[in-house]
Amino acid sequence: MAPNITEILFALGLGPNIAGVTRFCDYPPEAASIDKIGGLVNPNIERILARAPDLVIAFRGNPLRVVNRLAALDLPVFVLDIGNGLDALYPLIARIGLVTRRETAAGDLAASLLARQQAVEKALGTVRVKPRVFVVLHGQGLWTCGGQSYLNDIIARAGAVNIAAPMPKKWVLYSPERIVRDDPDAIFILARSEADFARARDWLAREAHLGTVKAVAAGRIYFLDENSASRFGPRLVDVLDRMARAMHPECFGEKT
Amino acid sequence: MSAKTGRRLLLALLCLLAAAGFFLSVLTGPVKTSPADLWQLVNGHASGVETTIFLDLRLSRAVLAFLVGAALALSGAILQGYFQNSMADPFVIGVSSGASLGAVLALALGFRLAFPGFSAQGFMAFASGLGIVSLVYLLSLRKGAFKIETLLLTGIAAGALASALTSFLLFMRSDSFDQAVFWLLGSFQLADWTQVAAVAPWFAVCLAASLWLAKDMNLLAMGDESALALGCPVGRVRKAFLVLASLLAALSVSVSGIIGFVGLVVPHWIRLLIGPDHRRLFPYAALAGGTFLLYSDLIARTILPSELPIGVITAAVGAPFFLYLLHQKR
Repeated sequence: MAPNITEILFALGLGPNIAGVTRFCDYPPEAASIDKIGGLVNPNIERILARAPDLVIAFRGNPLRVVNRLAALDLPVFVLDIGNGLDALYPLIARIGLVTRRETAAGDLAASLLARQQAVEKALGTVRVKPRVFVVLHGQGLWTCGGQSYLNDIIARAGAVNIAAPMPKKWVLYSPERIVRDDPDAIFILARSEADFARARDWLAREAHLGTVKAVAAGRIYFLDENSASRFGPRLVDVLDRMARAMHPECFGEKT
Repeated sequence: MSAKTGRRLLLALLCLLAAAGFFLSVLTGPVKTSPADLWQLVNGHASGVETTIFLDLRLSRAVLAFLVGAALALSGAILQGYFQNSMADPFVIGVSSGASLGAVLALALGFRLAFPGFSAQGFMAFASGLGIVSLVYLLSLRKGAFKIETLLLTGIAAGALASALTSFLLFMRSDSFDQAVFWLLGSFQLADWTQVAAVAPWFAVCLAASLWLAKDMNLLAMGDESALALGCPVGRVRKAFLVLASLLAALSVSVSGIIGFVGLVVPHWIRLLIGPDHRRLFPYAALAGGTFLLYSDLIARTILPSELPIGVITAAVGAPFFLYLLHQKR
């Protein structure tokens, strides 16, 4: 009952076994053709029941009352939490592998992801200069990831510093004033498409009155795929890779 | 046509509508089912999944919606008689918002146990609903009479304050979006038989008590002094009705969140149809209210692919009606 779970199930080769997904589950594209059981906070119990699933995999963002109701109807429900760092991704994959009897596939997936993560970390080595970055979610004001979010962890692993790290929350609404004060070296925009990204970039420079901020003045504004970054799944390693390359191109043998 | 025949006709019509509503509710849902499937259930041939869908999901929800509608309409009928004003209703007076605040407060503070047969949430909902209605009562009472503007304004202000506090409490919890929709706009999405079992006995008690006191409510309509002269213990009766109205509103809110305007529209219609005698008004309003909410819930869960909060539907019907009444008063 969450896009990241659907994504992991597909990565474990369980795509054909999925009986129902939420209407937010759009990755991989094959997920679109699976029956929808509702949203994240309002999954429809009747629809779930009618699919007669052997197992329901829920996550912490599904309302507890819905989960309890499903359990009361004798459906086996397994509830997962999303972690606050990449380290939590591998146990999550392993647990999904365990409950779906795909331990080997889960082990392989976790190992290959971990290898890619370590490759990035090795390439970075011990970078001295850590750019200070601000990540913004396009479209709803200046929402950013706080110190308890997994993106905060990814930023740190990519050799950068999240300016919103002192905020003890997962997602926070940041005020423009704070951004001006913190003066980040780079800004990442989480957007659904390149076009949205371009719009958000122009908006930051003009309407948001952030033209004086270093990142905007130097044009160090980067695109991050919101679909990958907002889901606690395998593509987070892509996000890490992209972020690290944007922050420290020299470490990856690219021209600065 | 005599008044009696008219009433019987109305009763028959309401019963028919309610029965049809239950039938439709059980048959309609995101999973396609036909009357033939239902017939198999009656004969005991239905599969486990179908039985669960029909009985545990749809029927329990329909029964709960009916009970809540009946409770809200009865609460509205009591408040309208109490304040001698057809614009009173648990939502407008602020009782529902107060009850919702109590329920959310109980959740936020993690209260678990209270009275037997009544959850901590239900009890807190009742207590704060009663608190709000008493406050509104005291503030709008001037020289033994209620000024309608003061009554409505006090109710709206108290309700807004309670809603703001509710939103604040929900905002403090990070996982609050679905909770906020539930408590502020109402939903039967997670109805089950335990909720029905928690509400039904209390509703029966309230209905019986209000029928028993209905004669006194008729006397109150002639003014407190006349009622006193006719042997009605005005003070005690008034207190009892205030408790009943709050209890009914709290019952509804604690299982389904705030659902506005049911208690306003339904008793008003029934009074137009059968007259102001509370001995009949109370039961008819309860029956009609249950039916009204049954159909509202049916609309709320079928009109769009994903469910609407039911408060959206009742407000769409009720708010224009409220404005119409306000216009008539002027």
